[in-house]
Amino acid sequence: QEFTIRATANSNENDEDYDGLIVFKDYVEAASNGAIEVELFIGTQLCSTGDECLQGVADGSIDVYISTSGGAASLFPYVQVLDLPYLMRDDRVAEHVMQGDFVRTMRDMALADSDNTIRLMTIGNTGGWRNFANTQRRIQNPEDMEGLKIRTVVAELPQELVTALGASPTPIPWPELFTSFQTGVVEGSKNGITDIMGMRFPDAGLQYVTLDRHAYMGALWFMSNETFMSMPEDMRRVVVDGFYALQQATFASPKRKSIDAYAEFVEGGGDLYVPTPEEAAAFAEAAQPVYTWFEENVEGGPEILGALREAVAEAEADIDASYEADLN
Amino acid sequence: MLVWFLPLFLILLLVGLPVFFALLFAPGFLLWLNGQERDIALLYRNVYQGMNSFPLMAIPFFMLAGEMMNRGGITLRLVEFSQALMGHLRGGLAHVNILSSILFAGLSGSAVADTSALGSMLIPAMEKNGYSRKFAAAVTAASSVIGPIIPPSGIMIIYAYVMGESVAALFLAGIVPGILIGAGLMLVVRLMADKYDLPKAERIVKADRTIGPVENLIARVLARINMAGVLYIIWALIGFAVTLPAINGWVLFVVFLLLSEGIFFRARKSMSEEARTVYKRAVVPLQTPIIILGGILGGVFTPTEAGAIAVAYAAVISLMLLKSMTIRDLPDVLRRAAMTSAVVLLLVGAAMAFKTVVSLSHTPETLAAFMLGLSDNPLTLLFLINLLLFIVGMFLDAGPAIIILGPILGPIFTDLGVDSIHFAIIMSVNLTVGLATPPMGLVLFVASSVSGERVETISKAILPFLAVEIAVIFLITYVPAISMTIPRLTGFAN
Amino acid sequence: MALGPGRNILNTLLAPLRILMTVNSAILSVGRALAWMALGLMVLIILYQVIMRYVFNSAPNWSEEAARFLMLWMTAFIAPSAYRWGGFVSIDMLLRMLPKVLASIGLLILLVISTIVLWTAVTLGYDHVFSFVGRGNSASLRIPLDLFGGERIRFQNNWMFSSLFVCVIMLFVINVELVLRTLVAMTMPDAKLPHDGAEMPVGAE
Ligand code: NA
Ligand code: NA
Repeated sequence: QEFTIRATANSNENDEDYDGLIVFKDYVEAASNGAIEVELFIGTQLCSTGDECLQGVADGSIDVYISTSGGAASLFPYVQVLDLPYLMRDDRVAEHVMQGDFVRTMRDMALADSDNTIRLMTIGNTGGWRNFANTQRRIQNPEDMEGLKIRTVVAELPQELVTALGASPTPIPWPELFTSFQTGVVEGSKNGITDIMGMRFPDAGLQYVTLDRHAYMGALWFMSNETFMSMPEDMRRVVVDGFYALQQATFASPKRKSIDAYAEFVEGGGDLYVPTPEEAAAFAEAAQPVYTWFEENVEGGPEILGALREAVAEAEADIDASYEADLN
Repeated sequence: MLVWFLPLFLILLLVGLPVFFALLFAPGFLLWLNGQERDIALLYRNVYQGMNSFPLMAIPFFMLAGEMMNRGGITLRLVEFSQALMGHLRGGLAHVNILSSILFAGLSGSAVADTSALGSMLIPAMEKNGYSRKFAAAVTAASSVIGPIIPPSGIMIIYAYVMGESVAALFLAGIVPGILIGAGLMLVVRLMADKYDLPKAERIVKADRTIGPVENLIARVLARINMAGVLYIIWALIGFAVTLPAINGWVLFVVFLLLSEGIFFRARKSMSEEARTVYKRAVVPLQTPIIILGGILGGVFTPTEAGAIAVAYAAVISLMLLKSMTIRDLPDVLRRAAMTSAVVLLLVGAAMAFKTVVSLSHTPETLAAFMLGLSDNPLTLLFLINLLLFIVGMFLDAGPAIIILGPILGPIFTDLGVDSIHFAIIMSVNLTVGLATPPMGLVLFVASSVSGERVETISKAILPFLAVEIAVIFLITYVPAISMTIPRLTGFAN
Repeated sequence: MALGPGRNILNTLLAPLRILMTVNSAILSVGRALAWMALGLMVLIILYQVIMRYVFNSAPNWSEEAARFLMLWMTAFIAPSAYRWGGFVSIDMLLRMLPKVLASIGLLILLVISTIVLWTAVTLGYDHVFSFVGRGNSASLRIPLDLFGGERIRFQNNWMFSSLFVCVIMLFVINVELVLRTLVAMTMPDAKLPHDGAEMPVGAE
């Protein structure tokens, strides 16, 4: 082969990131007729944090890396726009947005900030949506959050959100979270259902999940710009198509995986609650301070939030037009 | 091609290059030979990122707590307590040495700290009592490996860190294996005592030990609460077997407290005044493991925070209650803990970097395929893996060995149905015992420098103790309940 | 004799080596002081975190990262002292079995390997600190200038990255000193060199 792409994901082989990479590897190796080889490193074999892995992408020791928005936030703060609550109403809107110019806007910003070294290839999904889950009670309204100790990562935006809803954000390392639920160091978290079930959190008392879908768990697929641009155009096309296939796989995979996860959660006695439209509106209302915070405190914040809002409006118009055509 | 860094590493290690440099030079050199210069940057970044972890912070904290307990005279109290309990047996001081290690293990997370703290106190005492110096050093070294098996434990913190396990679950799983090793060692001493006619010791070293009125009161109260706690645990254990009447927790507590009072009332008649004082003087120090484990189990703090709490507790008792230390001792205590922690942390970073190149060379896949080709019976594989770990432990410190081998071996066994916590204990205990095996047994070096006896001589004298430790390793391997019962009962494992 | 010219060179090196050792002793003692303070501060920060969370139900978001920051700098400040005082674990059995001259040559070869490792680390450390990732911002650490009416300044990643960079630079300097000391010990066993009065034994694990 002529090119080797070294791809890494910090998750494990049960994760949708891995599903995406398998699809990518298969597509790229076949479509390039063996000219490109994709080497996968799953877990923290090469690097373990967003900063460290992106540094690897920047200097070319890693070619492809999937980051969550939290992992890339210190270098590209505006990617946290995906963590802003209640902007996209459902998967259909989100997937429309992630396939449009919004991603190109973000790519340009990241290239500019990284001295043209880190290229955002596509945004897929990892784990569905974040929801509030807790060990104490069913949460129907923002008031029900009052006083709960909610685990967040060490990042400002999720902490601002938890604070805005009246709960208190508590940073706990992921491996200690199970124990912390069990012992009451924290009482809740904001995670997708597959992560909740994968870590057996219900066994530690996490029995209440409110499907408020407050953040889309975007998976940002970065590539070394030098590696990409050093390929001839036909190979670049193969890579871009590979990322398209990967994106489609990561859109589908969490949906498939969450079916079993939800079933298992309810079977184990878990309480699954879907807020009514009025309750959802109350959550959105309570979360307002977070948008202001984002625009005032995040570099490139107003620009990217504008781009997202525009993309969402476009997507909604498009989808609504489709409904017009499809429903009757 | 790249895989040649493994033999190169071993050679560099054997000719005497410090482990830190060997871990970096061997993979770096082969990357360079292979024309993969850009990947050398991965090595550097992984050293940094390997150290940059919150859970690892428990290591300097527990190191500091242990250092403070030594300086504050707490270790001495534990030794006296052990002596009052076991000094009258034949081979008394050897038993005292082992029991002290078990108790000290509940305060400290490091075998080296155990060897140097207890060794400097007990080896001269044993010599004076008629033991040979090599035997005293060997008992000290052999029993000090209990330190990182009973919680807290630096080695288990490292294991949990690289493997994403819960520190709390590993801590709990280590309790019984640690006590078992202690019991095994005592059995060896018992057998040798008959054969070689080992001397007894006085129950009490010095009769002039006193206890201040405040500490006396605190100790009496705490002792009763502890005893009530023990009764409560017994009650709860009975509850697993038969249905007990539902009684209000507070009522139960008061009943147990009264019961404890009764027990102590009876016990004090059969004890001398000196013995009572020695026991009381151990009560406050022995709360440390209770606070650490109780706090973690009760949800008051995480294991890393428990380290800071242990430091605070040690500081409060030695500065304020016992007044065995002053503020002016603090810089030196902090400096010592910082220095040993820094060495460990750099080693952790270098091992993380080494692991990166292990991955790049696809060694894990090759090794997994090789092992599964040998056998897919977990029991056979566990036997082989214990042999492998034991050999690795002869040359490499437990920390780096866990970082490099844990991610390779762990998944193989969890896929075969071995519980990940059980495997963690097998690996940690095996490599911890490796700290006392020649040629690269860290505690052997420390025991040698503390006792003045040659490493080679201690290495021979320690063999019967190592034999029993190996037996315990296999017992732990094939009886999962030894490690798993406590984490299961407390809900930290399933 | 072949050693003659070498001896002369070394003789002229003796004075600079003495200066280097004295300077190192001074720098390292400052490093040790900063390191123990960092460790003490780490304990206090984590205690504050526990108290705030458990008693006041409001966990500070900066404490974890601040403690990690201090831990990295603690390591950077004190590890060079540990290296100088022989605290880096090694199997020295083979070297001890060799005759004196061979052992010194062996030791020199090992020190050359360490030099290569440390020099590479220094150059990579420079790239690490001055990379664009180094200019990235910390998630939670700020200089709270807002308390004094100013703007809060975010910590940059490279404030933390610098720790290992500084550490390997200092280890490199110590390594140079060790090479020179070994050469001097080989050729002029009775040359007087300054002694670091603060030296204490170092163990690990
Ligand atoms: Na321990
Ligand atoms: Na001992």
